[in-house]
Amino acid sequence: MSAGSLAARRDLLALVLDALVPASDGFPAGSVALDHVLAMAAASADLEAALTRGLEAIDETGSGFARLDADDRERALARVEETHAALFDALVRHAYDGYYSHPEVLGRLGLEPGPVQPRGHRIETADLPDLGRVIARGPIYRPA
Amino acid sequence: MTAGAAGATGDRVDVLVIGAGAAGAAVAWRLAAAGIGVVCLEQGDWVEPRAYPHWRDDWELHRHTDWSAEPNVRRLAQDYPVNDAASPIAPLMFNAVGGSTIHWSAHFPRFRPSDFRVKSLDGVADDWPIDYATLEPYFDLNDRMMGVAGMTGDPAYPPKSARQTPPIPLDTLGVTMARGFDRLGWHWWPSDSAILTRDYDGRRACVNCGPCDLGCPIGAKASTDVTYWPKAIAVGARLVTRARVREITLGGDGLADGAVYYDRDGRVHAQKARAVVLAGNGIGTPRLLLNSRSARFPDGLANRNGQVGRHLMFHPYAIVRGVFDRPLGGYRGPIGCSLISQEFYETDLSRGFVRGYSFQVARGLTPIASASGGSIGDRVAWGRGHRRAYDERFDRTITVAVIGEDLPEAHNRVDLDPALADGHGIPAPRVTYALSENSRRMLDHGIARAREALAAAGARAIDVNPLLRAGGWHLMGTARMGRDPATSVIDPEGRCHDVPNLYVVDGSAMVTCAGVNPTSTIQAVALYIADGMIRRRA
Repeated sequence: MSAGSLAARRDLLALVLDALVPASDGFPAGSVALDHVLAMAAASADLEAALTRGLEAIDETGSGFARLDADDRERALARVEETHAALFDALVRHAYDGYYSHPEVLGRLGLEPGPVQPRGHRIETADLPDLGRVIARGPIYRPA
Repeated sequence: MTAGAAGATGDRVDVLVIGAGAAGAAVAWRLAAAGIGVVCLEQGDWVEPRAYPHWRDDWELHRHTDWSAEPNVRRLAQDYPVNDAASPIAPLMFNAVGGSTIHWSAHFPRFRPSDFRVKSLDGVADDWPIDYATLEPYFDLNDRMMGVAGMTGDPAYPPKSARQTPPIPLDTLGVTMARGFDRLGWHWWPSDSAILTRDYDGRRACVNCGPCDLGCPIGAKASTDVTYWPKAIAVGARLVTRARVREITLGGDGLADGAVYYDRDGRVHAQKARAVVLAGNGIGTPRLLLNSRSARFPDGLANRNGQVGRHLMFHPYAIVRGVFDRPLGGYRGPIGCSLISQEFYETDLSRGFVRGYSFQVARGLTPIASASGGSIGDRVAWGRGHRRAYDERFDRTITVAVIGEDLPEAHNRVDLDPALADGHGIPAPRVTYALSENSRRMLDHGIARAREALAAAGARAIDVNPLLRAGGWHLMGTARMGRDPATSVIDPEGRCHDVPNLYVVDGSAMVTCAGVNPTSTIQAVALYIADGMIRRRA
């Protein structure tokens, strides 16, 4: 498979990503991960070839993935998950990686998007639960 | 790059330390502070604070690529491959100034008194030739150097000195789990963690960003590049980075006289020394000994008895994860630390195994880990059910790690791979390890009890990984300490029986591994060995 063949099928890849993670409850659809998946594939010829084979398998399962309704798209993907398990696993893994590192998704999860430094996270200081019961048992270590 | 006092590496130095991680840093500082000339060779680099992924939008993506704790995944130039095909547990390590403390979660419990006397108390493995009381001042010294958050009064231990800062905040997650233990009447205590909750010793307090396992870019977590090394260099220790040692060399008198190493450009150097200290971790140290062959030691240095590389211990981990009905704040705060339970630590043969384990309660799952399943590996379903399945997991989980005491067994070992090699052609280590029946029973008991604890805390669903493959954080026992030269590699002072000016100070020296994280004890032992070197020199 020639380099760049995955990028040539980006429209199909976007549809597949949207089927893997459909838009719901204010969350965007999976194609927000498209650039990440393409970037990963561009950095690895093996991954690009694997994902391209996966897309070919998806497109071969019916009369064209784009023309299927949502139910049939899920059924088509489920068949490929069975017949091309390793390829499909790589596709889902990179889709989730890209999706759950996307600022729009993180914001929807209630997280502040972007780097965790320097901002960190605020934790409200609370009193420790009472350790009196633990202490009252006395030493629980064996002298030696 | 070198740091520290001047002097060409060709000069004979008092002590050559190999490895700049947890133990090597402690020994280098202690010796240099006593006026002993020290050169340390480290195959990794300094990690610049801005190099950590925490400053980037895609920080979490790096956990499984260039910042993975697995050298076989990371595959950086300074790493060496490990053949772990014959082990259900993959060794984890990092090669840099600070070693694996760059990546650790900084959970910092000590071994308990009984851990040093398992043969006498329980009839298994071997007693250590040193005991808790001997090490106690070194635990305290090391705590001051590393900076420990925690609180005194834990009835699971003899009284400890004051902790340097208050404990890591439990947050909603920790409080929820503590109440579960309370309902069962079980022990729990806020973890001793080598993470500052207040500014201390010129270092900043933690800001609870979360992923300590990717390193700490602000120095709140105690990696030895920010604790021991600045002090060691200030008192004259010299640290040479990207210096990969190929072998330890012997003089005509049969004593170690230095090491041969490759610099970052692949040039070969010889560093001569009056004594050599190995601090390359429980896999790197036996690898180096076994690769240091000579007419006097055809099977590897200090290996006349064939014990080098044997008795490898990991801490086998089982992971038990509870899913709750409410947000727990688990994405914030130090990822590996909130609290510990040692309810099932000491031997009770009615449980079906000898020795025991701890529960280490970690934080929840970060966004990508929530999707991939983290340590359980149960990926959230794709498709139209995805949103609901993900939202039921994210920020609603508590992970309880069962960390069991592994017993030393001669067939669990490190040797040299006949085919695999690192970038300099040095044979790679090969790990052969099988989980013992005792460890399996111990983990199964821990899984059942962790289920009880999570249910008592309110978990509505519980998932289990019975043995974590990517859990080989602790590498121990492969050049163990003992009085008998026939069954151990180093003596009670840390000297190789066969080569008395060659020392081992890392996890390789451990006689047994206890049921807690080992770094606090590894460093205490290293400081104890260093003081013996100082005493004999004086």
